[in-house]
Parts: sequence; C-alpha cells; structure tokens
Amino acid sequence: MVARWIETLTGSLEQKRQYRRAVARIEALDEPYRGAAKAVDRYLTYAGGFTDGDTLVRMVADHADLWERAALDGTPVRAVVGDDPVEFAEAFARAYSGKEWIDEERARLSKAIDDATGDAGRRTEG
Amino acid sequence: MTELLKGTLEGIVLAILSVRPAYGYEITARLREEGFADLAEGTVYALLVRIEQRGLVDVEKVPSEKGPPRKVYTLNAQGRDDLTEFWRTWSFLAERLERLRHDAGHPQEEGT
Repeated sequence: MVARWIETLTGSLEQKRQYRRAVARIEALDEPYRGAAKAVDRYLTYAGGFTDGDTLVRMVADHADLWERAALDGTPVRAVVGDDPVEFAEAFARAYSGKEWIDEERARLSKAIDDATGDAGRRTEG
Repeated sequence: MTELLKGTLEGIVLAILSVRPAYGYEITARLREEGFADLAEGTVYALLVRIEQRGLVDVEKVPSEKGPPRKVYTLNAQGRDDLTEFWRTWSFLAERLERLRHDAGHPQEEGT
C-alpha cells in the first residue's frame, strides 16, 4: 500500500517499480531490521519534503541497501542509527539534494534580503 | 555527537580517503579506531552519500557475494581541493582558538 501522494510523485511506471522494489526489500528483512528500517523509511518519505520522484526513489533504494547490508553483516540496529534516530534520519534525507518545496521559499528569502541590501550576498566592510 | 565533531566529520572522511580508496564499512572502522567510538554507521553512510552527490568522490560498485553491491569510494580532484580547503580552515581555527586560550590565561585543562 503506497500513499497516494507518493503515487503522484513517482511519475513514470519505472519510478513506481523502483520504489515498490525498495519497499519490498525492506519488507523482506528479518526483525529487528525490518521494524527499524520501516520506521526510518516512513520518516524519510513523509518528513523529507521531496517534490521530485527521482530523488525519492534513489533515497529509498539506498536506504534499503543500507539495511540489507547491516542485516547481512549483523550490524546491530543501534550501531546503524546511533543514539538519535531522528538526527540520523534527517542527516540521511539531507544528503539527497532533491527539490524540496522549501527550496522556493529559501530562494525567495535570499532574494528579498539581496533586494533590501542592494547587494548579492556581499557584506560591505564596516 | 557534538556539533563541533559533526562539522569536521566530512573533512575527516576526506582525509581518510586521501590515503587510499575504501569501502564504507572500512571508513567507519577506521573512524572507530581513531577514537570516534560512538559514531553511527548510518551517519557515515549518509555523509558518503552527500560527498558522492557533491562530486567529491568517484564510486565503484563491487558485486558482493550476498546482498547489495559494496561501494568503493575514491577521492577525486574536486575532493582533494575540498580537503585542502578544509585543512586551511582547520589550521586557521586551531591557531585562533589556541591564541584565545592563551590570551584568556586559561589553565591547561585535561580531558574537558
């Protein structure tokens, strides 16, 4: 069951296939990896703020790689995510420089400040 | 992981790769040997993804007997430039901080 917005985001059939394959790989893991990977995956897809399917698909595939590797090597879940799973998931999502809805706002803010100061990111020596 | 360590981790990883190419898990192992004991594997993985996206390393996928292929990371020219810049910033910071500590007449505290 893939959320509707993900269906919309992953435009091409090929993208959808790749996305489903990554999800299936996570489903196929043994516990405790399956539970941990699903929890991180959920956070990544919902909190990542992605607006382009390519990046999302690449991220979930890499994420499946990470957990498959950990399960095969017997790396403990805690050693994968560290003390702060949220920090880990956010660092992971940030590594994918996909287009986020916030990008537009970021560009807008930077431009507004440039306009206000009449320069392009250069501070005059005071 | 402190903010200070987080900010330098990328430079540390580039420095490790400047010695020779390495697999992801080798990099984590090296970091643990160097005393970064509580580093999460996933954090290093995310960092490697980021430096790959930024074009600082060349990545070769090596098929593995089981599971997904393992990736070998090699520092490229752009990565070397980045590393040079990192060391320059590091020297500047270290020198300034030492001077600050000296000026403040701070006792040399151990293990803080």
